Amino acid sequence: MRNVKKTWGNCLEDVKIVEKKEIPSGCTMLFGFPDVGLVGVIAASHLISELNGLEEVAYVDSKLLPPLIVLHEGLPHSPIRIFGNHNILLAVSETAIPADVIYPIMYSLIDWGKSKNVKMMISLSGIPVQERQDIEELRVFAAASNVDVLKNVQELGIEILKEGYMVGPQAIMLQRCASIGVPAITLLAQCFFNYPDPEAAAEVLKGLTKIIGLKVDVSKLLEKGEEIRLKARDVMRRTQQELSKMKKTQEYDMPLYIT
Amino acid sequence: MTERRRRSIFDLIDEYFENLEESVKRLRETLMEKPSWDRKACTIEPLRDISVTPTEVIVTVDLPYTEENTIRVKPLSKDVIEISAKMRRKISFDDFGITHYKGEFQTFHCQTRIPVPVYMDKMEVRFKRGILEIHLPRKNEYEIPIE
Repeated sequence: MRNVKKTWGNCLEDVKIVEKKEIPSGCTMLFGFPDVGLVGVIAASHLISELNGLEEVAYVDSKLLPPLIVLHEGLPHSPIRIFGNHNILLAVSETAIPADVIYPIMYSLIDWGKSKNVKMMISLSGIPVQERQDIEELRVFAAASNVDVLKNVQELGIEILKEGYMVGPQAIMLQRCASIGVPAITLLAQCFFNYPDPEAAAEVLKGLTKIIGLKVDVSKLLEKGEEIRLKARDVMRRTQQELSKMKKTQEYDMPLYIT
Repeated sequence: MTERRRRSIFDLIDEYFENLEESVKRLRETLMEKPSWDRKACTIEPLRDISVTPTEVIVTVDLPYTEENTIRVKPLSKDVIEISAKMRRKISFDDFGITHYKGEFQTFHCQTRIPVPVYMDKMEVRFKRGILEIHLPRKNEYEIPIE
């Protein structure tokens, strides 16, 4: 049973990161979690299939999560796993993360990443835009954990998300990294709110390429766009329910400027 | 002066049970967990969304693998529409790596309740980038005059 009565501070003890392989020091840690358009999950899934040697190195074990495992070839896996090679760690979730446990899950992953001396954390995600189907060229925005990182991102030609609200795992990542001094970036591609968006995932990967110099061919991702949209339906449906609980539509709100 | 028709107690009871049945149905739709596919009917339920603007209701439906000429949008009542569309290819559970179920699907099918009164006969439909967009102009039935 999920113990939602605990404070999230105590809940941190209920999240374990179990390492299966030796974790190299000094990696870049990426996050691809279910959110609007499933941009992060689709991008992460493409990275796993495209990058050589990216294998499961750790997973999240937590009683805070629903009683769910993912079966691959008849064997059980945690829905939240970390894939890695010699220079990348990629945390990805195959199921919607319940809104009420995002804090302890994200804090645990970020603190674990810091203990492995990751040099930077980057969250891959989307920013919903109305009339998305009429947009030919999707824009990619970034927000960062400190001024220096923000300046670097801007110099790479990525637009800055200057004002507004951010809701979800990527928001928690940015705020936690800012407070513990880990350089971090949240990359957001314009996307559908409620529909899986492989084109947005391709754009966010292009943005990632600019930042960490990783070469990722997104042509297969775009070719398989319709197949991905069909297969991602159920994860999107579950994610919609969690997005509603965390009041994701607040990202559309006009902010109240307090300087 | 408008003439009010007197309704019998039986009419009122019928109406009460009809409303109750409708409420239970809506509650069941909200609460019941069900698969997004129907093996018997060989259909898949598409993802969909509804937005209500001051002038219209917009229903969007995600229809990958769909040819525009196979899309059918049919009003079933004053507040329910039925959407169906045929995919270019058959999808089986094997395509998802699932071997413990058998079945093939080639049709999207869903019914959607429209939350406010609309003119069903003035429906406009467009299909772009695999997204179906249904526009239904709103009926402004309850305008309150401001003195």
